[in-house]
Amino acid sequence: MMSLPFVLFACALGAAWLRQRSVAMGFWLVGLVTMLVLFRVHVTEVLSIQL
Amino acid sequence: MSADLSRLLNAIGLLAIGTVLALAFVDQIWFRELPCPLCILQRAGFFAAGFGIALNLIFGPKPSHYGVAIVGAVAGGAISMRQVLLHIVPGSGSYGDPVFGLHLYTWAFIAAALIVVGCAIMLLDDRQFSRAEPMSVRLKALPLSVLLLFLVLAIANVFSTIALCGGGLCPESPKDYMLFHTAPT
Repeated sequence: MMSLPFVLFACALGAAWLRQRSVAMGFWLVGLVTMLVLFRVHVTEVLSIQL
Repeated sequence: MSADLSRLLNAIGLLAIGTVLALAFVDQIWFRELPCPLCILQRAGFFAAGFGIALNLIFGPKPSHYGVAIVGAVAGGAISMRQVLLHIVPGSGSYGDPVFGLHLYTWAFIAAALIVVGCAIMLLDDRQFSRAEPMSVRLKALPLSVLLLFLVLAIANVFSTIALCGGGLCPESPKDYMLFHTAPT
């Protein structure tokens, strides 16, 4: 699951290398959303700040 | 600034990002400091940002490519900042050993900020976007080798992350590679 952003970004680079710009941008966007979803999953630790 | 000079600067920028990612691997393999989930996502942020710069090398400089790089850097920088904030209170611990006085997540935030500033400076010159020029022979070797390095690093991170976390989510503080050590039942 955590490797998914790297897979998608590697696919985006591969598509760009093959001159498929729209496909590459699509892979990048899905990769970015996946990265942010995984960030949301791992962001649960509470900040140790006493106000 | 000509499109060729822009490509050269973009190649140097992508090489810098590739160097950061390669050094993260050195830290992981040589010094055996396994990356935490947020550290892995920060690496992904560098790939998200570097992809925009890679587009500049492949298709020529465009404002939208710099936009891709900035969005990726902001996302990666936000993840770094979250980890900095987790350890900002004295006595709240840290993750990993400091390098030149700062932890890797702090360096990651600085690098993300530098990518945003670098892209903003590059966007100041409109002449690079004026016409599509063929890449000169002099520049061919550097962009291609940097692109190849970036692709290899992305694939290496796929295998590294699978080895570290298996098919699921990573533990908060990994002690070993999950793929090679199954948890006792």
